[in-house]
Amino acid sequence: MSLLSIRNLRTEFSGPAGIVRAVDGVSLDVAPGEIFGIVGESGCGKSATCRSILRLFGGAPARVAGGQILLDGVGDLAAMPERALAQVRGREVAFIFQDPLTALNPTMRIGRQIAEVILRHRKVSRAEARQAALGLLRDVHVTSPERRLDAYPHELSGGLRQRVVIAMALALRPRLIIADEPTTALDVTVQDQILRLLRERCDSTGTAIILITHDLGVVSQVCDRMAVMYAGRIVETGAVREVLDHPSHPYTRALLAALPGQASRGRDLVPIEGSPPGLIAPPPGCRFAPRCRLAREDCGSGPAPGLLPRPGTAPGHLDACILSEVPDVAS
Amino acid sequence: MSLLEFRGVARRFPVRHGLLDRLARRDRVWLHAVRGVDLSVARGEILGIVGESGCGKSTLARIGVGLQPANAGSVRFHGAALDGPDPAGRIQMVFQDPYSSLDPRMTIGAQLDEVIARYRAGLGRAGRRALVAQMLDEVGLPQEVAAKFPHALSGGQRQRVSIARALCSGPEVLLADEPVSALDASVQAQIINLLRRLNRDKGLTIVFISHDMNVVRYLCDRVAVMYLGEIVELDDSARLFAAPRHPYTRALIEAVPDLHAPREAVAAIHGEIPDPFAVVEGCRFAPRCPLAEAGCARPQALRPLPPSGAVRCDKAC
Ligand SMILES: Nc1ncnc2c1ncn2[C@@H]1O[C@H](COP(=O)(O)OP(=O)(O)OP(=O)(O)O)[C@@H](O)[C@H]1O
Ligand SMILES: Nc1ncnc2c1ncn2[C@@H]1O[C@H](COP(=O)(O)OP(=O)(O)O)[C@@H](O)[C@H]1O
Ligand code: SF4
Ligand code: SF4
Ligand SMILES: [Mg+2]
Ligand SMILES: [Mg+2]
Repeated sequence: MSLLSIRNLRTEFSGPAGIVRAVDGVSLDVAPGEIFGIVGESGCGKSATCRSILRLFGGAPARVAGGQILLDGVGDLAAMPERALAQVRGREVAFIFQDPLTALNPTMRIGRQIAEVILRHRKVSRAEARQAALGLLRDVHVTSPERRLDAYPHELSGGLRQRVVIAMALALRPRLIIADEPTTALDVTVQDQILRLLRERCDSTGTAIILITHDLGVVSQVCDRMAVMYAGRIVETGAVREVLDHPSHPYTRALLAALPGQASRGRDLVPIEGSPPGLIAPPPGCRFAPRCRLAREDCGSGPAPGLLPRPGTAPGHLDACILSEVPDVAS
Repeated sequence: MSLLEFRGVARRFPVRHGLLDRLARRDRVWLHAVRGVDLSVARGEILGIVGESGCGKSTLARIGVGLQPANAGSVRFHGAALDGPDPAGRIQMVFQDPYSSLDPRMTIGAQLDEVIARYRAGLGRAGRRALVAQMLDEVGLPQEVAAKFPHALSGGQRQRVSIARALCSGPEVLLADEPVSALDASVQAQIINLLRRLNRDKGLTIVFISHDMNVVRYLCDRVAVMYLGEIVELDDSARLFAAPRHPYTRALIEAVPDLHAPREAVAAIHGEIPDPFAVVEGCRFAPRCPLAEAGCARPQALRPLPPSGAVRCDKAC
């Protein structure tokens, strides 16, 4: 059973040069207690996909242009009026932003900010809310939380700020947390603890998490399943171990090959040549074709290929490459 | 000879001390972000600084470029004490966040032009324009980027612009604070290749702050590991990664996620995240150190340890 089921989502931004189709036919399912990772190059639509769920576009000229966003027991969020959706935000589904500074009020002490979130949704006294804030800071491993309660955001290091933002997201015990690059600002050991913390939450409370990251190590460490996005579409999805250990789409393989872990010192790293296509008029056929070393004549025409299982791969492991056999080329 | 040198650099920040604290005659509380760092950066090297968030890496870098004064100790550049930012712009910094470090209301060309005008007053408009073009070229950006505003660029392009801007004054040292942390694998590879090329071809000295141990291992010649405001290990990158000697360095290296390891296999670092308020008399890592014992209650000095490098742990050998 799915907690969240996204079907054929299309999200558009209207810009001066035309309509940007940031998300163009994305489907995914997230089960309770599951951590679902979304990876892909900058600009491929990871954030746009997740912002569509709660329609949190921060004033950008964006709209969900098609598809369904089914939240178990609540209904289709894509069809829900703004007032009803406001009830879902924070309470059922919480969002952790990429940039912790945009989520925090620079002029308010952090203890007060966390308490406000609680006071807005629950009938508790100020003192109780402050106690709860203290507990939440402790939960996210903020040391000397009593002292940090009275700090302003600019007085905290990037890692501490993000932990405060995570504490705010946990405050109302949501069923789904959408975390957009939550540990990008953190070092490995703190990242490790935050990820463990998120993992614990999922395992013990059944909270599900959609984790957007560009760090494949993070996905490997905490996610159950994952999707790789390219130019507004999912090009590969499946269980994390399957996708990382046996990637089948040429784009996934190229991403893995760009990591320094595999390169020897003194040799240049191997970025993917070129850059992702614009999403106002993406190339026909497979959108990766202009950069794909394996592209054939027929890759660049017709509709974008959909996700399909491949003979011999594990159930649930799908990719959108039209080649029947994807040879292993050193990129 | 060292090009940039930190000598006993310390920096503390006062923590809010309210009326109630004063009435109760509680002492002022200080947060020690950097506690006496000695570090010399050699000309032409890429020096990595790693450590947990809040351990003082950024504070040290800001002191290094003169954006923030030290409370104690000094920064020396070419052997002379540095007091505030170098007027000739020979030390520059690149920040983690390419979103907030650029001015949203100015075109990229105008932002680069402004920096060039500041450092090369003699240059006319045409000269500045040529230099803007050269800088964009240097970091692999197409010329049309000059006419664009930051919001119209991707994260990777913005980070290239911040690097181009830092290069405008013709710096000798670049302090890069987590310059690739916000970038995806492919763009990260491009920026790292760019930094390597600037180092190799232009002799640019780079201090590279990062929490990504894989990137540091790949890119840096030497590595300083910081913990709670102090350097706890300093060594050649290859040696440090092959045989880390400080227990904290070991924990850091073990925490690096392995793409192909099953989830359970990731080693947890023990204990709490370090508390910069806590007054620890002896080794600051002792509360989390698996090897801690009675002798660790003595303050630990950073001592050279053959065959190379230095370690702040009496038990390391
Ligand atoms: N406010 C906006 N106006 C116009 N286009 C936008 C806007 N915000 C995003 N886009 C476009 O939508 C696409 C997807 O953007 P999105 O932010 O979701 O990417 P992402 O994968 O999250 O990248 P990153 O890793 O940089 O955050 C991009 O082509 C982007 O340029
Ligand atoms: N302006 C400030 N006022 C108070 N505390 C600060 C200030 N700047 C940094 N700090 C504190 O100093 C410590 C080190 O911060 P920083 O150098 O930014 O860490 P990082 O290693 O993540 O770069 C942190 O505990 C942070 O909260
Ligand atoms: S469909 Fe063609 S262009 Fe697309 S990934 Fe497969 S081989 Fe490459
Ligand atoms: S001095 Fe003791 S506590 Fe500190 S790192 Fe060495 S063994 Fe561990
Ligand atoms: Mg994003
Ligand atoms: Mg920092």
